[in-house]
Amino acid sequence: MQLLEQAQDGVRLTVSTPEEDIRAAAAANDSLILEFEAFRDGRGFSLAAVLRGQGYRGRLIAAGKVLPDQARHLRRCGFDAVELSPGANAAPWRRMDQVFSAAYQPSSGDDRLVWRQRHAAPEDAAALAARLNAQWADADAEDLLRAVLDPALDRKAAAISSFGAEAAVLLHLISRVQPDLPVIFLETGQHFFQTLAYRRELTERLGLTNVRDIAPDAAALTAADPRGDLWRSEPDACCAVRKVEPQARALTGFDTRITGRKRYQNSQRTDLKPFEAADNVLIVNPLAAWSADQIEDWLRDHQLPRHPLVEQGYPSIGCWPCTRAVEAGEDARDGRWAGQEKTECGIHGRVLTPTC
Amino acid sequence: MKLLTANRLNDGRVIYLGEADAVVETIDAARPLDADTAETALAQAQSRPAIFVNPYLIEVEGRSPTGRDRLKERIRSAGPTVGHSLDFAARLEAL
Amino acid sequence: MYRYDEFDAALVRERIAEFSDQVDRRSSGELTEDEFKPLRLMNGVYLQLHAYMARIAVPYGVMNSRQMRQLAHVARTYDKGYGHFTTRTNIQFNWPALQDLPAILTDLAEVEMHAIQTSGNCIRNVTTDVFAGVAADEIEDPRPWGEILRQWSTIHPEFSFLPRKFKIAVIGAAKDRAAIRTPAVGRQIVRGEDGQTAIRVFVGGGQGRLPHIAQEIASAVPGRSLLAYLTAILRAYNLLGRRDNIHKARIKILVAAIGIDAFSDEVERQFAILRQEDLRIPDEELARIRAYFTPPPFQALPATSPSYDAARRLNPEFARFTRSNLRDHKQAGYGAIIVSLKPIDGVPGDITADQMEVVADLAARFSFDEVRASYEQNLVLPHVRLEDAYAVWSRLREAGLATANADLATDIIACPGLDYCSLANARSIPVAQTLSRQLADADLQEKLGPVRINISGCINACGHHHVGHIGVLGVDRKGEEYYQITVGGSPDEQAALGEIVGRSLPADEVAPAIARALDRYLEVRNDGELFIDTVRRLGADPFRTAIYEPIDAAA
Repeated sequence: MQLLEQAQDGVRLTVSTPEEDIRAAAAANDSLILEFEAFRDGRGFSLAAVLRGQGYRGRLIAAGKVLPDQARHLRRCGFDAVELSPGANAAPWRRMDQVFSAAYQPSSGDDRLVWRQRHAAPEDAAALAARLNAQWADADAEDLLRAVLDPALDRKAAAISSFGAEAAVLLHLISRVQPDLPVIFLETGQHFFQTLAYRRELTERLGLTNVRDIAPDAAALTAADPRGDLWRSEPDACCAVRKVEPQARALTGFDTRITGRKRYQNSQRTDLKPFEAADNVLIVNPLAAWSADQIEDWLRDHQLPRHPLVEQGYPSIGCWPCTRAVEAGEDARDGRWAGQEKTECGIHGRVLTPTC
Repeated sequence: MKLLTANRLNDGRVIYLGEADAVVETIDAARPLDADTAETALAQAQSRPAIFVNPYLIEVEGRSPTGRDRLKERIRSAGPTVGHSLDFAARLEAL
Repeated sequence: MYRYDEFDAALVRERIAEFSDQVDRRSSGELTEDEFKPLRLMNGVYLQLHAYMARIAVPYGVMNSRQMRQLAHVARTYDKGYGHFTTRTNIQFNWPALQDLPAILTDLAEVEMHAIQTSGNCIRNVTTDVFAGVAADEIEDPRPWGEILRQWSTIHPEFSFLPRKFKIAVIGAAKDRAAIRTPAVGRQIVRGEDGQTAIRVFVGGGQGRLPHIAQEIASAVPGRSLLAYLTAILRAYNLLGRRDNIHKARIKILVAAIGIDAFSDEVERQFAILRQEDLRIPDEELARIRAYFTPPPFQALPATSPSYDAARRLNPEFARFTRSNLRDHKQAGYGAIIVSLKPIDGVPGDITADQMEVVADLAARFSFDEVRASYEQNLVLPHVRLEDAYAVWSRLREAGLATANADLATDIIACPGLDYCSLANARSIPVAQTLSRQLADADLQEKLGPVRINISGCINACGHHHVGHIGVLGVDRKGEEYYQITVGGSPDEQAALGEIVGRSLPADEVAPAIARALDRYLEVRNDGELFIDTVRRLGADPFRTAIYEPIDAAA
């Protein structure tokens, strides 16, 4: 649920307004502010529940005399946001909103209903992704990460990182939430040495304790790319043996993957949502909605070390054969497989089951 | 005369305002207040919510509650008159 | 009985974390007392005359020995070594410190107990018939429905800030042993037309300042739709109940003000517009919960037990106990034993930690590890073999728990009154004690037969005096304790409110007055006629004159 610091514009009605007038106002407006006149006066909760029960899809905002301890009551009755009183501390609101991991009552937008959890077949990843997208639409990246790593969800999660130009942001967030989260680094054998140095430096700086270097299968590599020049003739096959297959192997047993992908990175990612599913694996992109500026700001504000190649004009960094610096006016990822049609290496496209 | 009384936040016990603004647990140690000092004392107690829960003034003669709520205040000062937590049994005489 | 799964356990733990957070914020000043009060009430924590009082929920009155022992532990460790059972089958501790509450609640959570919503303007503990699963006249065991309601009502996001408290009771037979017409909503299990479980719903009851008997609002709500129907009732109440005056805020006032028909229309309207499929109890869930309440592994016994019969012949005191305190069980060879918490001259409903241990032991050894709290503020060991009854009685007797007065004149129901409660006008416990001494004679009590006497220390009526056959209400006359007597109330399926017989009397005249009324009953009753039936036949006048004639004459 959103916490709003400013007074909102829009139709504002007190909770003592008769129900039919509230319903009429909802029918005529796509957002409504319900003002609580006293925190003990719980009419607002029923009014919201009635509106949502009737299918109201507009924005419902709670305002007035409400306590942080009522955060989850508001959210679960159907409020999207609460207007905080001036100077109010947001921290107790967030805390009290998330105190309970499940509930006995159904409520709008929150499916952690105990009956369903007791009796449902294990939720498939697509349904879970849809539910989480709905539930966490407005959450910030760290909260998204925290939500998916919540033990109550019982997911087995791992992150994938290239330790590239922007990797530090996701890794920093991970270090804040769960520093022992498995982090998969694909040691393709064709990294810039600066990438390998950066991988060690960043891991140490952030206190990550479970970074795993995954190398290609030795026999498969010798067979497919004996001279190390497969990238020149068949870049897809090179990615396959050096990245895609090792990653599939490394992720066996994990039902949740955390990536640093963002919408702005290339035109194929513009629809990227925070939660997706593929082959019944939940894929989490906490930074999906971030802009390049937000990335820069975060790196600067938290004084995170940058990949050494960034200042040399490499905004996106992969293996050395297929990465070049970008020119002014190009997209950040235009230096990847430049001159080729390939824009993605394929590790995010499909989950392959390993052949061994 | 009046006394200031309340319940203490951390354990709920009956407390009175004593000498030098000390918090005391027995009515005998409470500080008698006249009309002026009573209002000040009440305001001061209300400004210390970490100790005083719902402070209020009671009417007394000496240390004996008078007024409409005298029985209630006597029981507050002496404890329950019956039962398993019978404290201050000797004080029943005063009631 | 129900056992928590990981969801139930997680919720109770998380509730403790939430309450601890709130206690911290109150201590630091981040929350004012006014903001903190409803939050602490929803965790069962009152501030009374002398100390905080913690009211622990005993869901629909059922406990096991482990829980009873933990209650004893809490009584010893954090309190003064005793507890008090209430008319809503909860248990109260009178002396916990606020800072100890998180530890107390954690200890209770270990045995699957909590204090959630035992106070505050929310849905309270659901009560039921103490003889559920025992009485032969039962259509269906009501306890699974009690458990379903407990879960649905717990930490409900929409109904935690109601105009006032909301109490629900449920029974499984036509005979009402749980006073379901006195709380806000009463439910009686019936058979629907399709042979499935249906619920007859009563609404608008309440004791207190302006007592009301609940009225029927629906004759047979299908079981699966019960939660949706209750949601509609609660929603109608939440939106329409008065918020301006706490004495007019309860649902009983709303139903009386707009009439049962108008209220019923409002409920139907809400029922029609809510998403019922969300609230339909899944069959698997109903089955899962019902499985916890299947009968225990009874032995196949003959209906009579020679050793039991012999013990009665040989020991008149035991025989008397069985006449009043041992109740029929639908399983041959078994009985339900009422453990009296009303010793002569004692505090009604109180039990010491040592006594709790005795009861726990007896429950574990002789009653399939089950003990229950009753509306009458007694305990019940529900499944005792007749051949074990003598052993159980002997042990109870040693512990002071074998007073042979269940439902008799000294089985007095009383609230704690002015000795403990900041709302009270007068003390109730000393009145109960004096009355119980006055009527102590066991032969007299048997002669009088079942008479329900209820004492409340103020008009909040926690002693349920309105529905006592004889009710006593403490009033405040210029700082002195006076008591008003009512006659003819009844909490069962012939529910009625007692009639005030005359002016209030000072404390020392109450017991003699009631004794005179009971003597008059013996004079005017028909053979075998119960006290309440004599009142129904003759009205209150004979008792009025019996009470007031002598004192008026002496005046």
